Amino acid sequence: MNYPAWDVPHIGSGWVIGSIAIFHVMISHFAVGGGLYLPMAESRALKKGRKDWLEFLPNHAKFFLILTGVYGAVSGVGIWFAIGLASPEGTSTLIHNFVFGWAIEWVFFIIELSTAAVYYYTWNRIPERLHLKVGWLYAGASFFTLFIINGILTFMLTPGAAWLEVAGSGQEASRFFQAFFNPTYWPSLFLRTLVCVSLAGLWALVTASRLDGNKQGALKTEVIRWSFGWLLPAFFLMPICFLWYLYQVPESQSQLLGLGISTIGSGTFTQVTRTALITVMTSATILCIAYFVAYRNPREFGFGYAVCLLVLGLAATGSTEKAREMLRKPYVVGEHMYSNGIRKTPVGEPHISEVEKFNSEGYLTQSLWATEEERVAWAEFDHAWNGGVQLASETLGPQVAPETLRRGELMFQGQCLACHTRDAYRSMKNFLRDRDLTSIRNMLGMLHDYKEDSPYRAFMPPLVGTETEREALALYLNEMAHGGEQAQPAEPVHQVARTNN
Amino acid sequence: MPKSSSRALESPPPSKVWTFLDERLGLSEILEIARHKRVPQHTQSFWYYWGGISLFFFLIQAISGVLLLVYYRPGVDAFDSVRRITYDIDFGWLIRSAHSWSANLMIVAVFVHMFSVFFMKAYRAPREFGWWSGLVLLGLAMTFGFSGYLLPMDELAYFATKVGLDIPTSIPVIGPIMGDLIRGGPDVNENTIQRFFALHVVILPALFVPVLMFHLFLVQKHGNAVPPSEEAKPESERSSIPFFPNFFAKDLAMWLIALNVLALLASLYPWDLGPQADPLAPAPQGIHPEWYFMVPFQVLKVFGNWFPGLTGEIMGMALFTLGGLIWAVIPLYDMNNKNAARARTATWIGFVVLATVIVFTIWGYSAL
Repeated sequence: MNYPAWDVPHIGSGWVIGSIAIFHVMISHFAVGGGLYLPMAESRALKKGRKDWLEFLPNHAKFFLILTGVYGAVSGVGIWFAIGLASPEGTSTLIHNFVFGWAIEWVFFIIELSTAAVYYYTWNRIPERLHLKVGWLYAGASFFTLFIINGILTFMLTPGAAWLEVAGSGQEASRFFQAFFNPTYWPSLFLRTLVCVSLAGLWALVTASRLDGNKQGALKTEVIRWSFGWLLPAFFLMPICFLWYLYQVPESQSQLLGLGISTIGSGTFTQVTRTALITVMTSATILCIAYFVAYRNPREFGFGYAVCLLVLGLAATGSTEKAREMLRKPYVVGEHMYSNGIRKTPVGEPHISEVEKFNSEGYLTQSLWATEEERVAWAEFDHAWNGGVQLASETLGPQVAPETLRRGELMFQGQCLACHTRDAYRSMKNFLRDRDLTSIRNMLGMLHDYKEDSPYRAFMPPLVGTETEREALALYLNEMAHGGEQAQPAEPVHQVARTNN
Repeated sequence: MPKSSSRALESPPPSKVWTFLDERLGLSEILEIARHKRVPQHTQSFWYYWGGISLFFFLIQAISGVLLLVYYRPGVDAFDSVRRITYDIDFGWLIRSAHSWSANLMIVAVFVHMFSVFFMKAYRAPREFGWWSGLVLLGLAMTFGFSGYLLPMDELAYFATKVGLDIPTSIPVIGPIMGDLIRGGPDVNENTIQRFFALHVVILPALFVPVLMFHLFLVQKHGNAVPPSEEAKPESERSSIPFFPNFFAKDLAMWLIALNVLALLASLYPWDLGPQADPLAPAPQGIHPEWYFMVPFQVLKVFGNWFPGLTGEIMGMALFTLGGLIWAVIPLYDMNNKNAARARTATWIGFVVLATVIVFTIWGYSAL
C-alpha cells in the first residue's frame, strides 16, 4: 500500500471517475467530430455561396468553443485528479510508460485550444480561405489528440504480449510503440472516430433546433438534414468495427460478454452485457427519433427534442464506456495489474508477483497507514493465531479487538474499495446480508485460492495477504454487515478477540 | 385563424397493400379526420405528451400483465409462482420487472400530467369532465398499484398491505366490516390474494378501460387546452400543427424514449423478490407503502402523533378527504378566464398541493 485509499462513501471512487468521464467523453468526442463538421460545413457554404449558412455557423462555433474549450478541458483535468486518487498504482503505470505520449498529447491540446479560439474570433475578420485553413488545422490537431489518447486507453485493456514480457522489469518504456499500437488500437480508433462523427451531428442538431422554423425554415431544414447525415456512418459501420474490436480482446474478457448474452433469458446475465444492450437500444432510438422527428419534420424540430437526443446520446456513451471498463475486469491494466492495483506480473527481485509476495510476507507489512501500536497488536494476534483453530475463549472477550478491525479495514480499503462501497453502490452490506461469519470466510477463501474454476475469477482479483490478515478482513466484513452479531461461531472456536488486558 | 406554422409530412405514394386496405376499410377518411385535428404549438407544448406517456405505460402493463397471468397462480402458491417467474422462466424476470417499473412510471406520468393540466388551467369549461375522469383514472391507477403490490406475497408486500388495510379498518362502525370484506377475513391471507387478484385483473380493468375511453373521447372532442399566456394572444399569433402525422410522430418518439427509460430500469435494476411472507414473524423494520401512498401514510402518522388514538386517524383522514374534494371541485371554482382573483387562488392551491406531495413524500421516507 504505497498510496492512501480514497474512500468515497456511497457512490465509490469509480462513480466519481464515471460521472466526470461520461460527460467528458461526450464533449471530447464532439471536439474531434465537431472539428471536422465546422470546416466541412464552412467549405460547403463557401462553395455554394450560402450566406445564411455562414451566418449560422459562427453560432455553432461559439457553442462549440465554449463547450469543448471550457467544460471539455476542465473535465479532462478532473478525470486526471479522479483516476490519480482512485487508482494511483494504475495511473503511475500509465505515466511511467506513456509520459512521452502525453507530452505529445499536450502539444496537440495547445494547438487545438488555440486554433478553436482563433477559428471563432476570426469569423469575417480574415480572408475566407485562411479562416478555413484554421478550421482544418483545428480538425487535424483534435484528431491527433484522439489518436494518442486512444493508444493509452486501449493499452489498459490489451497491453500486448511484447509489453507484458518486460512489465515490472523497469524496461517498460522500451516497448512504447508496441504498447501504444496494441491489439485493440486500430479497431478502437475507428470506433471512436465514428462516435466523434455521430456526436458532431448530434450536437449540431442541438444548435440547429434553435433556428426559427417559420422564419428560417429552408436553412433549418437543410442544416438538420445535413447534420442527420453525420449520424449515419456510425450506425452502419459501428457493428463491424465492434466485432473487429471484440476479436482483438482476449478471450478471457470477451467471454464475459458471450456468457452474458447466453444467460439473458434467465436474468443472470453479466453487467457488461446489460450495459452493452443499453448502448444498442439507445443508439437505435437516437436514429429513429432523429429520422422521424428531425429529418422528416425539420421545421418543427425543437430544442426539447434535441435535448432528448442528447440525453439518449449520453446514455449510449455512458453505457458504452461502462461496458468497456467492465470488459477489462478483473484488471486495470490487462494481465498485468488487477483493478485494486496489485500486480500480477513479477516485479523486481526476487522474480515473483505481488500476489505471491503479499501472500507470504503480508499485504499490510509495508503499509504506511498503520500505527506502531496497531502493528504490535497484529503481531500478538498472529502469535496467538496458532493455525486458526484456537483460542482459549475464556481468556478472550466477546468483542473483536479494534486493532483487528482496523487491520481488516485496511485490507478492505486496499483490496475491495476500488470497486465496492460499504452500503450503496456494489454494497458489501448487501452482498453479505445473508452470509454469516463462516460463509464470509469461505467466500474470502475462494477469492484467495483463486482456482481455475472459481466463479469469481472472471471479474474479481485474487484476495492477497496472510491467513491472519484475511481473518481480520472476515471479521471486519462481518462487523460491517451484521454489527458483529454473528462473530462467534459455535464450533470450531475460530474467534479472534480482544485479550483481557 | 391560427397560423399553421408547419406543413404535414410528405406522404410516399400509396402502396398496393395500402390501396387494398383503404378501399375496404376507408383508412384515408380516418387519416383525413386525423389531419384536420390540430395541436397547439407553444413554449409549454412539452406537457402535452404526458397523457400519451401515461397511456403508453398503461399499455405496457396490460401486455406484460397478460404475460404474467400465464404463470401466476393466486392463492397459496402465489409466492412460489412469482419466484418461478422471476428465476426459472426465461425472460420472466424481464416481464415482471417491466410490469412493476411501468406501474410506477405510469403513476409518475399521471402525476406530471395532472399537475400540468392543473397549471395550464385545462380543467376550465368545457373540460371539467376531462378533469374529473382523469382523477377517477388516477384513483383507479393507485388501486391497481395497491392490489398488485400484494400479489407476489413476499414479506414486504404482506406487511405493507396489512398496515395499509389497518387504516380503513380503524374507521368506527363500518371500518371492521370493510376490512373483513377486503381481506376476506380478519387476516391477510390467501383469500386476500384471491380478492386482490380478482380486483387487479378483472374489476379494475373493467372500470379503467371505459373511463379511459371517455377521457380520450373528451380530449378528442375539446382538443388540447392552451395555457392562459397563450390564450391571451390573438388567434393570428398562435400556431398549431396537424395531429397526424406531425404530432403523432413526436408522440411516438416520446413513447420510444419512455420505452428506453423502462428498459434501462428493468434491465439494470430488476424488480426484487423478497423472502416469502411469514404471518407469524414480526414485521420487519421500516415497513412502508409504495411511494405514491407515502403522503396519506405520513399525514396519518403525523396526526397520529399529534392526537394519539382514533382521533388522530379520523382527523388525518378527514383532512385528506377534504383536500381531495377541494382538488376535485377546482373546475367549479375557477371556471373561466374572466375572474383573475379566482385563477390566482387556484394556482396557489396547486402550488400548495404540489409542495405538500413533495414535502410529505420526502418526510415519509426520511422518517422510516
